[in-house]
Amino acid sequence: MAQLTARFRTENRRYAVEDVPFSVPAASETTDLSRLINKLLAAADADHKYVEFDFLINGQFLRMPLVTHMETENISTEEVVEIEYVEKYMAPQPEECIFHDDWISSVQATEEWILTGCYDQTARIWSLEGKSIMTVAGHTEVVKDVAWVKQDSLSCLLLSASMDQTILLWEWNVEKNKVKALHCCRGHAGSVDSVAVDCTGTKFCSGSWDKMLKIWSAVPTDEEDEMEEAANRPRKKQKTEQLGLTRTPLATLSGHTEAVSSVLWSDAEEICSASWDHTIKLWDAETGDLKSTLTGNKVFNSVSYSPLCRRLASGSTDRHIRLWDPRSKDGSLVLLSLTSHTGWVTSVKWSPTHEHQLISGSLDNIVKLWDTRSCKAPLYDLAAHEDKVLCVDWTEAGVRI
Amino acid sequence: PHSCPAPRSSLGGAEQNLPICPLSALGLGGGLWVSFLGGVQQLTAGVCFAAGWVWGILATSRRQSPCPGTLSAFQCLQIGKWGDRRVHQFEKMSPALPSHLVPPLQDIRNTVGNIPMEWYQDFPHIGYNLDGKKIYKPIRNKDELDMFLEKMENPDYWRTVQDKMTGADIKLTDEQVDLVHRLQRGQFGDVHFDPYEPAVDFFTHEVMIHPVTNRPADKRSFIPSLIEKEKVSKLVHAIKMGWIKPRKPKDDTPTYYDLWAHEDPNSILGRHKMHVPAPKMKLPGHEESYNPPPEYLLSEEEKLAWEQQEPAERKLNFVPQQFRCLRAVPAYSRFIHERFERCLDLYLCPRQRKMRVNVDPEDLIPKLPKPRDLQPFPTTQALVYRGHTSLVRCLSISPSGQWLVSGSDDCTVRFWEVCTARCMKTLPVGGVVKSVAWNPNPTICLVAICVEQSVLLVNPCLGDKLLYGATDQVLESYVPPEEERVQPVQWVTATPEEHSKGIRLVVQHSKAVKQVTWHGKGDYFASVVADNSNMQVLIHQTSKRWSQNPFRKSKGLVQCVLFHPIRPYFFVATQRYVRVYNLLKQELTKKLMSNCKWVSSMAIHPGGDNIICGSYDSKLAWFDLDLSTRPYQLLRHHKKALRSVAFHKHYPLFASGSDDGTVIVCHGMVYNDLLQNPLLVPVKVLKGHAITLDLGVLDVLFHPTQPWVFSSGADGTIRLYT
Repeated sequence: MAQLTARFRTENRRYAVEDVPFSVPAASETTDLSRLINKLLAAADADHKYVEFDFLINGQFLRMPLVTHMETENISTEEVVEIEYVEKYMAPQPEECIFHDDWISSVQATEEWILTGCYDQTARIWSLEGKSIMTVAGHTEVVKDVAWVKQDSLSCLLLSASMDQTILLWEWNVEKNKVKALHCCRGHAGSVDSVAVDCTGTKFCSGSWDKMLKIWSAVPTDEEDEMEEAANRPRKKQKTEQLGLTRTPLATLSGHTEAVSSVLWSDAEEICSASWDHTIKLWDAETGDLKSTLTGNKVFNSVSYSPLCRRLASGSTDRHIRLWDPRSKDGSLVLLSLTSHTGWVTSVKWSPTHEHQLISGSLDNIVKLWDTRSCKAPLYDLAAHEDKVLCVDWTEAGVRI
Repeated sequence: PHSCPAPRSSLGGAEQNLPICPLSALGLGGGLWVSFLGGVQQLTAGVCFAAGWVWGILATSRRQSPCPGTLSAFQCLQIGKWGDRRVHQFEKMSPALPSHLVPPLQDIRNTVGNIPMEWYQDFPHIGYNLDGKKIYKPIRNKDELDMFLEKMENPDYWRTVQDKMTGADIKLTDEQVDLVHRLQRGQFGDVHFDPYEPAVDFFTHEVMIHPVTNRPADKRSFIPSLIEKEKVSKLVHAIKMGWIKPRKPKDDTPTYYDLWAHEDPNSILGRHKMHVPAPKMKLPGHEESYNPPPEYLLSEEEKLAWEQQEPAERKLNFVPQQFRCLRAVPAYSRFIHERFERCLDLYLCPRQRKMRVNVDPEDLIPKLPKPRDLQPFPTTQALVYRGHTSLVRCLSISPSGQWLVSGSDDCTVRFWEVCTARCMKTLPVGGVVKSVAWNPNPTICLVAICVEQSVLLVNPCLGDKLLYGATDQVLESYVPPEEERVQPVQWVTATPEEHSKGIRLVVQHSKAVKQVTWHGKGDYFASVVADNSNMQVLIHQTSKRWSQNPFRKSKGLVQCVLFHPIRPYFFVATQRYVRVYNLLKQELTKKLMSNCKWVSSMAIHPGGDNIICGSYDSKLAWFDLDLSTRPYQLLRHHKKALRSVAFHKHYPLFASGSDDGTVIVCHGMVYNDLLQNPLLVPVKVLKGHAITLDLGVLDVLFHPTQPWVFSSGADGTIRLYT
């Protein structure tokens, strides 16, 4: 089998070639095919620049010689193969290196700023260029998670969750560059590991080591909620200095039997939480009812939801990233398992723009960029870290860790 | 008749010219006896002729002998027919008859009798005649030529025989030749003898009307016999008495005997069983060939070496040689010798059977489930907790599983966040930390730390603020009793400087403390002092700051102690034994024999009925307390001394850490059913720790909720396997 007949097709009008079958060498790889397409394009258009392409056969990326791929995928080599090609996603380069003097527990990026939570009990705001703009200090323990609530040109609202069992809602005045703690959300009895803000920016949810999920209002008010004395637990008035007004949860979702490691809003009414008790649970945010449970067999460290492909991705301690369909009702349905990490997968995040791409960080110091169309191996390994990767996030343009 | 003249002519001629008269007319009333064929016969009728011969008919019977005097020398001349009768012509014998038919003139009868005639070989005579005169041998002067001529010329030569008795030649007559011929054919000598005459029986099988005898029958044949009657009555009596039984009907079925009835058909017969095949001879190889390949031929040095070797040591007992062709191969000189040795081999072959046990090695392996069916258990190293600069002796974990505490030889205690391997706190304690124990009560946040001669109770201030605040309050709310009690230890409240580090209480012992362990409720803890007295084990109550010494005398060097998780039992491990005490009754309940030389560590199953003991002689003993005081199973998986053993709280797992740098995780399922013994399956060997100073893993610990195992090593790291 020396030659194969193939037909090339693309979504991108700019790189379209003539729709006729070509005879290509069976052993050709992506670089050979890419060179072929470029030659065709150059023949049609004189001022064509060389572009690297990636090739898909039946929705699967070509990662080996063409004939080997077709053999493994059981595609007949007798017929004309339809090969789709897309512009190659270029390898991301670390643009900036933001140095913290302690471990960063979490990161969330927006168009302009990056918010990080740090083990030195502060949260920090950075510009995209890597300049430290603001240090938000107020917690008495390690900051475990941070989240943006609202961004304006004048003031931003942001959240920081800490091991000191509180979540602080801050207002950051951009112009004056001052932060003010608006509310101190108390109620958790363990370290708050994860916060997530809903799409409207009015509510947020937190998951804690004490196995609880709590939903809070994110709207800053001037009133202080009454401290409700829980009947079953003696509570002592906090003698420590108060930061902002105390706020109590709107609702408490209990059902996990182990610590909640990650929480997110999958849409306006649905909360998704991953826990150490080997389950991912979907909750109704309005009523606080448990909607469904996805059961795995290992501890989940992180969960991410993509509205583009409507799938959940979970990172767990057995080094696999699993893709779930949350709408499937009959038991847990693992759609895909991405295996390449050699340590715990601490964090996964879907690309906000690309349907098929996700990024994962692991304790093996490597961040991997995945494409669900090539499930055997990641697209790129981003091995710039020298220590454990704890959290990853996307910006519009690229990746920040 | 004697004078009957008759011309010697043919019969026809005689009839024509000779008168014939009947025999009676001749006056021969008594009949004429003639010699006929050597015998004498009577003529029944005859005609006498004048010429002196007689025609006559011979009588058929020869029984009667002739009367003497009537015998005449008549001789049958010819046989003719007269009507249907056979007639014979007789002639009176006269001296003119041929000599062989008439007795010779001189009767030379030999009188020597039946003796071998060879005796007379050397004599001129051959015997003596009736007169006692010598009978001389006839003169035989015929030479060979004469003999030959006579043979050719004499027509009677063939019938001439020599009489042995007289040495004379005798010419046989025709009758004699005939007789000889008949005898040669096996016939009777007499021509006329009929061997097939009809026989007349004297007795016959046919019943005759006349009896053979005419004797009248006896009287006794007509009256019944008394003897018979007596005999019959005896038999009847015997039958009546049952002495004689009626004859059984004869069983026609043939009876066979099964020779092999008592033999097991499956067993091999004895001689077959004991059969030892003769030792086989080695088949000739290339070197035995008359034309071996050159590599088999010995070189000069090899040949020299071969010659210098002892014959018994030689690899080959001959030198391979090359011959031009098979014809050139000489006789093999050692043939007899080799045959003899072969016979010796066969004769001296050890006729002893080696009883080989035919066991499939697979059967010896106990049937254990596959490790992958026993998931979950830790399989890979997930995290390494780095920070200690010296060997990490001890580990403990918070009941929630969020924090880990480790004590090290670098005189610090470190608190770690489990999920990120972040060291949250470092507490310098100013001494080698021998043991740490996190309070198992989830509502109390307190860690007991053994440092040299004291036990520190430390509040790590981790986790729920309310909890550790409450713990502090409980400790502060202590009111000293009014009267001071005598205690084996001193309870000292921490100085403010120590308080800021987290240390709350210091329990000062008199000697160095080896181990500390909490009771499940979290109020009592026990400490082991490195001492040889009865003060080795102390039990302390935190809330009352009160210590007591439970034992009056020392039972040996105590290695470690343990509280039962549910019941009020207390386990004390000495070097060889584990003693179980009932704390309520204050008595010894059980004494477990460990079968090890030196127990190093001990752990109890959360169910409370099973104990594992690790020992320095690399054995792990599993005790089932309900079963026996001896180990249910001894596991020898480690290559070096065991340092630590641990049970998981929920999963059926236990682990052991050893000086060989490995942690072995075993599946240890304990069933609720008392009849079912625990199932112990080693599932995983976890490696990772580097061996430093001949020490590998110093402590192992399970996560309270997840199937994860921590191990601390001499290389200053703590590793988490998930």
